[in-house]
Amino acid sequence: MSKFSKILGVLVLATVILAACAPATTPPPATAAATEAATEAATEAATEAPTTDCAEGYDFGEIVGPAGGFLEKALAGEYSGTTVTVDGTQTDPDDRKMKCGWAAFEEATGITVNYVGNKEFEARISIAVDAGQAPDIADFPQPSLVRRFAEQGKIIDVGQFLSDDYLNQTYIPSWLELATMESPDGPIVAGVFNRYSAKSLVWYPKDDFEASGYEVPETWDELLALSDQMVADGSTPWCVGIESQAATGWPATDWMEDVMLRTTSLENYDAWVAGELKFDSPEVKNAAEVIGEIWFKEGYVYGGRDAIVTTFFGDSPAGLFTDPPNCWLHRQANFITGFFPETAKPDVDYAAFYLPPIDEQYGRPLLGAGDIYVMFNDRPEVRALIEYFTLPNSVSGFLAEGGAFAAQKSATPEMYSIPLEVSLAELFGTATSFRFDGSDLMPGEVGAGSFWKGMTDWASGSADLDTVLKEIDASWPE
Amino acid sequence: MNIGRIKRSINALLVNGTLILIVLLWLIPVVGIFVSSFRQRFDIQTSPWWNVLPHRGWVMTKTIDPRELELDTNSPMTVEGITATFEEMQAGVEEGDTRLVWIGNRRIGNIQIQKKDWIMPGGLTLDNYQQVIQGKNIRITHADGTVQTVRGDDFSVALLNSLTVAVPSTIIPILIAAFAAYGFAWMRFPGRRFWFILTVALVVVPLQIALVPVLRDFAGLSLNGTFLGIWMAHTGFGLPLATYLLFNYISQLPRETLEAAFIDGASHFTIFTQLILPLSTPALASFAIFQFLWVWNDYLVALIILGPDPNVRVVTMKLASIVGDRGQDWHLLTAGAFVSMLIPLIVFFALQRYFVRGMLAGSVKG
Repeated sequence: MSKFSKILGVLVLATVILAACAPATTPPPATAAATEAATEAATEAATEAPTTDCAEGYDFGEIVGPAGGFLEKALAGEYSGTTVTVDGTQTDPDDRKMKCGWAAFEEATGITVNYVGNKEFEARISIAVDAGQAPDIADFPQPSLVRRFAEQGKIIDVGQFLSDDYLNQTYIPSWLELATMESPDGPIVAGVFNRYSAKSLVWYPKDDFEASGYEVPETWDELLALSDQMVADGSTPWCVGIESQAATGWPATDWMEDVMLRTTSLENYDAWVAGELKFDSPEVKNAAEVIGEIWFKEGYVYGGRDAIVTTFFGDSPAGLFTDPPNCWLHRQANFITGFFPETAKPDVDYAAFYLPPIDEQYGRPLLGAGDIYVMFNDRPEVRALIEYFTLPNSVSGFLAEGGAFAAQKSATPEMYSIPLEVSLAELFGTATSFRFDGSDLMPGEVGAGSFWKGMTDWASGSADLDTVLKEIDASWPE
Repeated sequence: MNIGRIKRSINALLVNGTLILIVLLWLIPVVGIFVSSFRQRFDIQTSPWWNVLPHRGWVMTKTIDPRELELDTNSPMTVEGITATFEEMQAGVEEGDTRLVWIGNRRIGNIQIQKKDWIMPGGLTLDNYQQVIQGKNIRITHADGTVQTVRGDDFSVALLNSLTVAVPSTIIPILIAAFAAYGFAWMRFPGRRFWFILTVALVVVPLQIALVPVLRDFAGLSLNGTFLGIWMAHTGFGLPLATYLLFNYISQLPRETLEAAFIDGASHFTIFTQLILPLSTPALASFAIFQFLWVWNDYLVALIILGPDPNVRVVTMKLASIVGDRGQDWHLLTAGAFVSMLIPLIVFFALQRYFVRGMLAGSVKG
């Protein structure tokens, strides 16, 4: 008795002490008081947050919202003291950069923005919406997820307070088309885009690349010639890794989309994404074969074909930074810099070039993916924040530190503070068309399922291309 | 006699040897993660963890710039008395205890003369742990002298939150279940069988199906995101099994002891506190370990009930977010995992002597 009851006693005591230690988060019994306490705790956390987390000395200019809008009223202090909850999937470091972009809004309006996101957002949000616990605003990384909520009529139409003129002034048509969705009351503008990442990039070790006398290729043939030259010089040109645990294969779908855009028309690309152009069509098959010419060619990929499926996509670019480089070229979206060694310097140790066009007639397409901010609760302060998201000011955390690009037309290359990103933003300005990551727009069964798996099977050699493409077609939901 | 003893010791050796082998096999991944938790990201990406052990390898003794020798890389070359083609040199030409290797490509590569020697690798660092545990910005100095400021992950808040969740979520169900088990075992009341079967039947109901209804009810009571809410959730989800396990143990206590107490005029409460609780210590302790580990490792219930608010984030959720948006901070996960293991280990070793006895609780049913 004595020993165990002592332990029990200690534990009970510990409970009491712990409960006392966390007064802000221990629930008061009354219902209204609980939410109040939570708000208080959030406000406390917001004020305590060290400002040094954001890049200093980076002024983003005045906040100017749409005329007569809610942001204007908020700037006049009308909604001061209110709180807007934002949910999302971002964790370190993107959540910090997001908050840095919102700090100016909070300061100018007195509205507190409480970010509560974490990685399980996608699993959590459905339960939260079903239980009537939706956040005020949610940051969705894929528009296809939003479509379901729009069809259920759970989403507030931002077109109610953002005029078509304003939206057209702010966004290129591609973004607006993606944001327009079906609801029970007809088509709505389901949200606003804020920032995007660009995928059509090839990363290379700039110092060694230049010392070896190589030149950035402008056409696909030059890219292949450069690869051949590297092989002849005794090195391995490419690093490819598509392993990503449960999501293994997604980097391969990005390759497919990039090559599709370069080998066929935009109409065909859109039809393919919508499921009207089959995977088993000559266009898609041709794109895969173009990729195969790089992936499966002897001596082209570091570690050979087997390494493609077994290398973690984040470890794969490490080959650019070994001495000497294990590989010289790596195609991946701009976020990959987060995986580069902490000591690697942009424009010195690495840089990126645009994945060259294959067929002149399809121009210079850009593949990307962006986050859409969706509104679940209609309150004036929430509308004000949505209006703020249509300004590049809200992306300033990313503009200052890198990692994403502003989706608004008013964002200019000069706004980026990292030289490499200035040049990338300029590069994107020369793009003739923009398309959203196709696998993110396809139904989940395909875009986050059979497409990943099929590309993995094909890359590993466990299934031939025809079988894989037929299987993906068969998995398309009715 | 003697032969018998030898046989027995051979047997013991076999058994112990097999056990040690299995333990070692099981430990290898843990050791790997432990070693990785002291390594920097680039090292983890580019070399295996066992490279931190001293091993024999090629060590450079001399570098030659091939451009100074004006070599033609397209035909066999002679360097330091060794003649070989470029491809052979890239693979390395061994002669005695020295090796000649062409490092890099034809254009900017170097030739190295290497000899075999012991390599004592360094490069281990506490930076990962520092970044995981500390809450403020920390400065990390890299091998090449660059200083980087990173934000700490502040595990201490998450650890405190996890304790705040786990300790009451362990004690409350045990107390209730012990009362319930005593009632079901030793008190006579109408519908006893029915209520007991109902309780046991709840053991097989998966908690996932209860999540949305519970969340709705909690929303009505404003219990979402509060510790009281998650204590209640864990208590509810843990009670059926706790009651069933403790019932099996308590109902097997010798009837004579209890009858003697009744005759002496003890009330149910006296019997429960003075007799039942001390006698069922092993069962209580073993269930306490089960429940504590379950709650400590729980991710789903905390995610749904507590939500993602950083102020109430528990260790499992912190661990999930520590790898960063795209898994780029994998090297921190290893350190975080070891920090999060500490408290369950302490609990386990503090209570483990009850554990074996308690595991048998209810296993032999009369």
